[in-house]
Amino acid sequence: MTSTAMASSAQNTKKLDGLTLRYLVLIGLIVIASVGFSFANENFYSLTNIGILLRSIAVLFLLSMGMTFVMLTGGIDLSVGSNVAFSGGVGVIALTTTGSAFIGFAAAIFAGMAIGAVNGFFIGRLKLSAFMVTLATFALARGLALVIYDADSINVSNQTFLWLGGVSWGNMPVVIPFVALVFIALSVVLYKTTFGRDVYAAGSNFATAFVLGRRPEKTLVWVYVLSGALAGLSAIITVGRVSSGQPWAGLYLEFDAITAVILGGTSLFGGRGMLLGTILGVLLYGIIINGLVLTGTNPYLQSLIKGMILLGVVLLDTYTQRGKTA
Amino acid sequence: MKLSKTLAATTALVSAFAASAALADDALDIVFINDGHVAPYHVAWLSGFEDAIAAYDEAFDDVKVTGRWLSAEGSLEKMIQQAEVTINEKPDIMFVNAINVDAFEPLVAKAQAEGITWIAVHSPMDSADYSFTLGDVVNGTNQGMAMCALSDGEPYKVGIMLGQAGNPSGEARREGILKGISTCDNVEVVAEQPADWDTVKAQSIAENWLTQFPDLDAISGVTDGYMYPSIAIAANSGRDDLHFYGYDGDIPIMQQMEGGNVKADILLSGTREGWNFVQMAYRIHKGETPDKVYDFFTPLVLSEENHKIALENGFPEDVQVYYVDQALEVAQNGYLEFGPDSVK
Repeated sequence: MTSTAMASSAQNTKKLDGLTLRYLVLIGLIVIASVGFSFANENFYSLTNIGILLRSIAVLFLLSMGMTFVMLTGGIDLSVGSNVAFSGGVGVIALTTTGSAFIGFAAAIFAGMAIGAVNGFFIGRLKLSAFMVTLATFALARGLALVIYDADSINVSNQTFLWLGGVSWGNMPVVIPFVALVFIALSVVLYKTTFGRDVYAAGSNFATAFVLGRRPEKTLVWVYVLSGALAGLSAIITVGRVSSGQPWAGLYLEFDAITAVILGGTSLFGGRGMLLGTILGVLLYGIIINGLVLTGTNPYLQSLIKGMILLGVVLLDTYTQRGKTA
Repeated sequence: MKLSKTLAATTALVSAFAASAALADDALDIVFINDGHVAPYHVAWLSGFEDAIAAYDEAFDDVKVTGRWLSAEGSLEKMIQQAEVTINEKPDIMFVNAINVDAFEPLVAKAQAEGITWIAVHSPMDSADYSFTLGDVVNGTNQGMAMCALSDGEPYKVGIMLGQAGNPSGEARREGILKGISTCDNVEVVAEQPADWDTVKAQSIAENWLTQFPDLDAISGVTDGYMYPSIAIAANSGRDDLHFYGYDGDIPIMQQMEGGNVKADILLSGTREGWNFVQMAYRIHKGETPDKVYDFFTPLVLSEENHKIALENGFPEDVQVYYVDQALEVAQNGYLEFGPDSVK
């Protein structure tokens, strides 16, 4: 083994150790938060509350997994929350027009992918700033949602369409095994396919990936399309949860997703992170939100706590990154 | 001697504690779920609610009164989650100011199955046990008619700042304002813009309007939260002649009515409403049954001088009007009408 290869191998081990440590810290925080909240409120560990907790973060799981792909490329997708409202509207209108739940499902997912494709085209092909492009589609998708809904909600009674977001097996919402399947599928895509390697390559060093013929600009397009598709899926779950299509669905979810992804160890600068970390990040974030509600924490204090968590993880991420590049 | 005194004191303390525990074995747990917590009206609401909880708990030995206020921060999903978690906690009464009532229909049934009384706030729901409403259409109409009456028949251009698109309460207020304005021909609505209950958005809208419509005569809003930035921007732009028509009865806004450019307001008063929530919950807990649709009393506020002018210009005499001093008194001490003494 050459000295360069040995150094690279040692660096990889160090990187793996860093992430493992991060996950151990997250698991520790999850345990501490859970135990703390269970002392504050005995209902915390009730099966009903665990079911509520899992159902409430199902959409965040999906959006955060999409956001992880995006952030691994060094990008950001601010449009996902608005996309949930828009694609939900398209799905519900397709459902009410045709009476077919499956056409409704397809329409929601395609609508989500369409917004993702717009993001991907401008960011990947035209090399525009991800922040600015998705900030624009954040407003655009919400505006479209308000227009197609005429700013009012649409009730949905089709049980097939409502099944995924609304039905539970006992205390277990059916959406949770579904999210687990999506997680497995996306893990395979990220870790076992060329596309997954291209995602990491685009985020680690875009120029090098380009020189090596990895077509990073194409990867970017597909990453945003994937994020859009997951927003479409999230829309279906959201409609099922509230038995109606809502023009204000998904408000501020992009910020929750970004927080959870960074919390899970994915770098703001791209190229580093794993889906497992995102799952842990979402879980921790969900437990904190659930616990704050259960304990009746003053809303002003809740904002403060959430802000401090975000600031803390951004600082942690920035210092970790500086340490790596120093 | 010393030991016997100590024992006697301990016994007395334990007995007193046991007696108070026995007295307070009845409990009233109230949860309020709101769409936000930072708008000036929400702050007043929360303050009134928390003060009232403490006052009722202190005033009645036989009931332990507790309360929590949750803010969904504008997010429908968070509000749904908060409602689900709360239902699992089984409080006695839930007040919910739903972002969209349709989304909460499944949860109302779930709460009622758990024996929880669901009170829909501001946007009425047929399925709820009670709806706490403000008479938004009537209030808006009164505001619109005040514009007609105070514009002296001259051409009068007005911009209306609306609530969040689709919000039932905001829509009802808009409907009322337009209905009131339609009673005269001289008032023209030159712009309508949602500001999403957000004072910062209201600020930029006011700036745009003053540039776009240099001959604008008045700004009307569905919340006093919009009046603060609008008044400041008008003053900074030298538009001392611009009139304002508010909604909420915020004290700092009503204080600008005597000789100022705030022409009319609707007296809600967040503090007062917060107290009324707790009073209503207590009454229900004690077995009273308020009207299914409970209308919070919300008079129009005018200065005495402007009321006279309005009446001369055809403003209906049967519209109940509070003058500024009376309205300020109610806004400042309005909790007295809903305090523990009101139900003793």
